[in-house]
Amino acid sequence: MGLLRFVLRRLGLAVFVLLGVTVITFVLSRSISSNPLVAWLGRAASMYPELAAEYAKKYHLNEPLHVQFYYYIVGLLQGDLGYSVYKGKPVAEAIGETLPFTLQIAFFAIIFTLIIGIPLGVLAGKYHRRATDYGIRAFYLAGVSSPAFLLALFLLIILTYTFRLLPSGGALSPGVPTPSRVTGFIIIDSLLERNFGTFVDALAHIVMPSLALALGVFGYVTRVLRASILEVMRTNYIRAARAKGLDENTIFFKHALRNAMISVVTLASLLTTWLVTGTLFAETIFTYPGAGQYLVQALSSLDYPSILAITLVFAAVIVASNLAADILYAVVDPEIRLQ
Amino acid sequence: MIKIRNPRIQYIVELLTYNNETKLGFLLVAAIVAAAIVVALTGIGVLPYDPIEQDVGPPLAAPSLEHPFGTDILGRDVFSRILYATPNDIFVSFVVVGVSFLVGALLGATAGYRGGLLDEALMRYTDVIFAIPALVLAISIAVILGPGMTHMMYALLIIWWPPYARLARGEALRVSHQNYIEAARASGIGSFRILTRHVLPNILTPMVAYATIDIGSVVIIYAGLSYLGLSIRPPWPEWGAMVSAYQDYLVSAPWLPLFPAFVIGIVVVAFSILGDGLRDAVEAARIG
Repeated sequence: MGLLRFVLRRLGLAVFVLLGVTVITFVLSRSISSNPLVAWLGRAASMYPELAAEYAKKYHLNEPLHVQFYYYIVGLLQGDLGYSVYKGKPVAEAIGETLPFTLQIAFFAIIFTLIIGIPLGVLAGKYHRRATDYGIRAFYLAGVSSPAFLLALFLLIILTYTFRLLPSGGALSPGVPTPSRVTGFIIIDSLLERNFGTFVDALAHIVMPSLALALGVFGYVTRVLRASILEVMRTNYIRAARAKGLDENTIFFKHALRNAMISVVTLASLLTTWLVTGTLFAETIFTYPGAGQYLVQALSSLDYPSILAITLVFAAVIVASNLAADILYAVVDPEIRLQ
Repeated sequence: MIKIRNPRIQYIVELLTYNNETKLGFLLVAAIVAAAIVVALTGIGVLPYDPIEQDVGPPLAAPSLEHPFGTDILGRDVFSRILYATPNDIFVSFVVVGVSFLVGALLGATAGYRGGLLDEALMRYTDVIFAIPALVLAISIAVILGPGMTHMMYALLIIWWPPYARLARGEALRVSHQNYIEAARASGIGSFRILTRHVLPNILTPMVAYATIDIGSVVIIYAGLSYLGLSIRPPWPEWGAMVSAYQDYLVSAPWLPLFPAFVIGIVVVAFSILGDGLRDAVEAARIG
């Protein structure tokens, strides 16, 4: 019963936060220009009078602010995020096309983060205050302190220009057939078509952007895991295990590590936020057609509807992943539900 | 060990010399801040070359004694350009962190000490702000304000203070149950005075440790914004903008984008080393 109540409370908080985010984007949208149409249509407001009239009517833009806010929310719930002149299509459609690419990168970035971050955290925790620990510390400090574009440029120099292992950018090599769109995720769509050549090529294009992101965040995982291991090793049940005469490796890997790993889940929020921020740079440098690159392009063309909509969508992604992490945390650590 | 009469300065010196980390961090930070101040005061005079003058060397020259970081396509000295941008980046970071610190400390401490509606409102507001990535929100605000360094600073100020408020609130909650606060309350001191004289001074040190690391975060995010073209207008140099302008030469002259990016990283490392060390020192002092 505790778990259900916990989930419901977190869900309520998530809905509240999302509502708060829409208030912020609404306020921003009305601050752009004295004409509220600009927020939905950008330059299309003056280019297409019929579209402008339609939007003004649909969103009651001549009525008081609270009425406008109501219709703003209604519009968002119907999936209407405005119209982008630069994309020549509704913003929701443009985001639907680009977001899967970003999620692809983010997914692999999380995998790389865990693959790099967890073993290093374990090593640093097991051999703390020794050379291994200090070496790992210098490595993650360098990663965490580097701007995302530095890591991306580094990988580009090493993996593309020096060793010629990976393609320098894009989502697929020229000439490789694009799978027909089912889910929007190339790696899934190509597998559905059993087109393994495209699948491998798509994977090769994902490696560098996601690795660049992972190198920037794995340090947080390493740091938290190391601290958590040190804390767990001081607890009474570890002392009890030692008193029972268990050997150090069993104690460390079977008893300590399992509990220490729980702390990594608490990083989910920080990681998603960093990954989302990082995609702006990784996708721009590797010309990867995701939502991050879309935002950067929208920024240079002052495509207001796209900028506001992506802000909202990114916030929704973060809220959703926080919710998932909270629930996961409550499932693996029953103490959390009691707070 | 240095002996100082003034107990406050003595305390600061103890924190800064707590371990090798704080010492190294402090030296690096002091060097960076000193460089920023010297360049800010003397302007172009102290630099080896004028940062915007073209053809002071051959175009795209590799790093050499004459041009330690090489020259760009217009024959401008990259070392001078990077150095010239230092006060700008450091200034923005200190202002954003300083103002956020003040606003956050006051709001958070009041909320934590008084509780009630203010506390609830502050917590929910920070929940919302934390859901939007700082860089993305800064971009949305910056787009409305228009590009430029001061606008970037405003955009960052709007979103930067909530973590400080959270931190101050937590610390104030911890402090408000201590005996000396009870004693102050029992002796009839007003809550404003308790807040300013007894609560605030006791929550500052952990906040300073956080703020130190945070200066590096502002440097990174400001570099990101200017990388995206939202900050200073060319030809005046800015670290993030230099990386984006030079990244086309990644193959022919890789040092061009790498040096400014490295400098950003080094500044961030310096502040995180000092901040990490300070946090350990604060924790050790707390345990006793």
